[in-house]
Amino acid sequence: MVCIRRATVDDLLAMQACNLMCLPENYQMKYYLYHILSWPQLLYVAEDYNGRIVGYVLSKMDEESNECHGHITSLAVLRTHRKLGLATKLMTAAQAAMEQVYEAEYVSLHVRRSNRAAFHLYTETLGYKIHDVEAKYYADGEDAYDMRKYLKGKQNHQHSSHGHGHGHHHHHGGGCCSGDAIETTQAEDAKATTSK
Amino acid sequence: MGASLPPKEANLFKLIVKSYETKQYKKGLKAADAILKKFPSHGETLSMKGLTLNCMDRKTEAYELVRLGVKNDIKSHVCWHVFGLLYRSDREYREAIKCYRNALRIDPENLEILRDLSLLQAQMRDLSGFVETRQQLLSLKPNHRMNWIGFAVSQHLNSNASKAVEILEAFEGTLEDDYPPENEICEHTEMILYKVSLLEESGAFAKALEELHKNESKIVDKLSYKELEVSLLSKLGRPAEADKLYRVLLSMNPDNYRYYEGLQKCFGLYSESGQYSSDKIEKLSALYQSLSEKYTRSSAVKRIPLDFLQDESFKEAVAKYIKPLLTKGVPSLFSDLSSLYDHPRKPDILEQVVVEMEQSIRATGNYPGSDVKEPPSTLLWTLFFLAQHYDKRGQYDVALGKIDEAIAHTPTVIDLYSVKSRIMKHAGDLTAAAALADEARCMDLADRYINSECVKRMLQADQVTLAEKTAVLFTKEGDQINNLHDMQCMWYDLASGDSYFRQGDLGRALKRFLAVEKHYTDISEDQFDFHSYCLRKMTLRSYVDMLKFQDRLHSFPYFHKAAIRAIRCYLKLHDSPKSTAEEDGMSKMAPAQKKKMKKQKKAEERAKKEAESKSEESTAGGVSKSGKKNVKPVDPDPHGQKLIQVEEPMAEASKYLRLLQKHSPNSLETHLVSFEVNMRKQKFLLAFQAVKQMLKLDAENPDSHRSLIKFLLKTESTSAPTTEAEKLRWSVLEAERPSISQLQNKSLTEVNEEFLGRHKDSLVHRAAYAEMLCLLNPSKKTEAIKIIEDSTNKVVQTNGAQIEWKLKDCITVHKLLDTALLDSEAASRWKSRCAEYFPWSTYFEGKRSSVMPDSVYNTSRKTNENGDTPNHPMGQTELSDGQVEAFKSLSVST
Repeated sequence: MVCIRRATVDDLLAMQACNLMCLPENYQMKYYLYHILSWPQLLYVAEDYNGRIVGYVLSKMDEESNECHGHITSLAVLRTHRKLGLATKLMTAAQAAMEQVYEAEYVSLHVRRSNRAAFHLYTETLGYKIHDVEAKYYADGEDAYDMRKYLKGKQNHQHSSHGHGHGHHHHHGGGCCSGDAIETTQAEDAKATTSK
Repeated sequence: MGASLPPKEANLFKLIVKSYETKQYKKGLKAADAILKKFPSHGETLSMKGLTLNCMDRKTEAYELVRLGVKNDIKSHVCWHVFGLLYRSDREYREAIKCYRNALRIDPENLEILRDLSLLQAQMRDLSGFVETRQQLLSLKPNHRMNWIGFAVSQHLNSNASKAVEILEAFEGTLEDDYPPENEICEHTEMILYKVSLLEESGAFAKALEELHKNESKIVDKLSYKELEVSLLSKLGRPAEADKLYRVLLSMNPDNYRYYEGLQKCFGLYSESGQYSSDKIEKLSALYQSLSEKYTRSSAVKRIPLDFLQDESFKEAVAKYIKPLLTKGVPSLFSDLSSLYDHPRKPDILEQVVVEMEQSIRATGNYPGSDVKEPPSTLLWTLFFLAQHYDKRGQYDVALGKIDEAIAHTPTVIDLYSVKSRIMKHAGDLTAAAALADEARCMDLADRYINSECVKRMLQADQVTLAEKTAVLFTKEGDQINNLHDMQCMWYDLASGDSYFRQGDLGRALKRFLAVEKHYTDISEDQFDFHSYCLRKMTLRSYVDMLKFQDRLHSFPYFHKAAIRAIRCYLKLHDSPKSTAEEDGMSKMAPAQKKKMKKQKKAEERAKKEAESKSEESTAGGVSKSGKKNVKPVDPDPHGQKLIQVEEPMAEASKYLRLLQKHSPNSLETHLVSFEVNMRKQKFLLAFQAVKQMLKLDAENPDSHRSLIKFLLKTESTSAPTTEAEKLRWSVLEAERPSISQLQNKSLTEVNEEFLGRHKDSLVHRAAYAEMLCLLNPSKKTEAIKIIEDSTNKVVQTNGAQIEWKLKDCITVHKLLDTALLDSEAASRWKSRCAEYFPWSTYFEGKRSSVMPDSVYNTSRKTNENGDTPNHPMGQTELSDGQVEAFKSLSVST
């Protein structure tokens, strides 16, 4: 019914339209361009049988405290296309690319406290755990759960124990993960657009 | 830099540059002033001061100082470079290029300026210039990776992919054996993949594949690797290997349509049109049978065969496909199957299959021939499917019956109301559609999708104020529509512009349509920063894709729609000169409405004054204490009043027309508006071009016919040519005439008669004929009206669907009778006739429509539509002050 595939630049306008239909956190086109021109492997779309974009995941790599990790910037599926497991498929595809291409340790994301459906998806279906709570993260004052999922083979790797000379972890320093240099009007993710 | 200054000032000058780079503008300004105190005419300092002021939003001073700087030190490359940067910041790229070139004349090997120049050349697609500059950069600094890559990319963009490969190979020759270092694995992957795709593009498939295989271990992006490999294998005519690889890809992602398409191609079983011989259908069917056994989780493997299977085997397959999805309650099932409705027999089969299921479930609770009990929800989703099915076939009464039964069955399912709303819209009751969408919205206030859908319906029903209030519930700033605008929400701009256009508010309509155009300009500007960024990040395949996307940007549908509509606004402005336009609008209104308009005008004037005084304040105050711009610029023309004051609407229209002609040459509408614009500008040869294009695209289209007749009538009726230009035009038209097959020495009346002869059964064609008949011979008006009224609305069996008259066409015909043929009696006869065909149509005042006083959706039964406040999502009822203000100003501008 719906095809999951990597996004191309030609999909970006439709992804933006899908985002504006579904979510309160929106971005200008430049932010989408920034994603695809930085991490072309980390954007996926759900395309229905008529060629329409009905869902997408927009994600990126982040570098913090020596841990190369992925971050889900935005995920949306049109309400009309629920019950097909699209969100799960999109997330799985993005996570796999983060792990394979960038050797990401873990994936992080933010979710509204009140968004029970999304929370359920992340915890029950996809195996995310609450890492922290960010008070008043969203513009309307709602809190966000800062959630994380450690990727395969890295499950046992505790955040705190990192850096003890487990020589088997390869980090591509700088190169892949570092973002930068492009000024987008929204900054890194929803967080920046919301902070006053 | 800063030469000719004593050491102390030279250091200060360095500080200005550093402050500029680190955005510490105040510090820079102070240093500049310190130098200027001693050396008031120092050119480079003046320039840098200007550049600094530019970043502090003091444009006029900036330009003055930078110009003065150049004047005082015309031999300084710094001054010219700064002048270029200033122009660049204002997107004046051509001027900026000139300045850089002057700077380079003085200092030809200045890397920084060369780099800046190359970025502009990429932006402006001055490709040969780009190649030249990148080559210079490489020869000056061959030890920089970026310079090699930049030169290769420039050659690629300049259509020389094989040269680009040579450059990359030369670069590889400079690398050590153990390249890449661990922290550059991703970049290196991208570089290899770029090189392979260049080889593919230049047709060297074998070499591309070899290169790919050679580097397998170095490529971390395994998916791209496999996708490139399979594409190359196919192109090299190695189907057995491609087949194998497609199956590997399918086991990773069994829902990717492209893989199935590729697989079909391996077996010679793919046709662009989707038409297959019975022999091929058998083979395809066997292929998908085997695939479905392997990829059991895949839905694509079950869906694709529905396209090629026919009759009995289709019936069997579609029933098998539908059942589990109805049981599961997948809301998108109908949309998934909607493309099957283009087939001549499949819609009938679908109807038969699903109606059988409905009956069986009602009677036994099971699907036909099954003894498994279905859950109660299966009936609900079956009804849901059928409602959409009958809607698609134009049988609105049946559709509404099904959806109402579904709602009675389970009143809590939101999707049911959304679908009912859509049916109502198709049936012609936009008010009821909006009310239903609002009902859906209120069932889950936290869901933006149903909010957006509701806003769209409200705009379609011309409830703009209510729509705005509803949309604002999800925009962050709370300051209404600005946020939608900032986030480039183009569907909203279009839908809202359409509504204003229908209501005759051309100012606001133009404002919205031009906003879309502005979004496209901004997106086009967005690419600038990426010219250097991507060379560093090595995401070259995406970068080149992005440039191609930008080159095609204006062919995307939102732009096309907005440009067509903007031109239509300008046409209206042209046709109704300023002085009368407003009065015209007023005289047609009911007195109550007039009063409302006047009130609105006053409010607008008040708002305008406020806006003006605010903007004065903000410019007077300049930059706030923190040095940040926290005052949003106030729009001096929020309602587009200035836009409609334009002196030459046709000149404005031509701007957008040129973009349409370049980017949407295959759209009939492009040439239709071109015809309209050029006729008004008396540019007859251009108008003739437009007519020719329309005939080429669709000779039988009523608009093509109208344009042809109108054009010839106009040019034939003008008196014999006198001026040189007229003579030339006349001779061109004479020479072209024979090339138009419709004409062939016939009179226009004959051409019109033949057109009718070819389309006797079509309402829209009959209407076009009648309109032209009247135009050619005004005394034949009665005959023309009779042609329209004699049209019969029969059920024609094409495509298996019941093709009756379309509501939209009937409305057009009504307008034609009423406003072009000016026969109000005929119009009123037409109206009551159509009210029978379209009982839900508000336009025709059908008896089941919401204009009827007994309708539940009748708006006059409620209070003023804009009086009530929409429910707020997430239970927030308190409004910030800003919102209250916004609400106040909105409610007066109804």
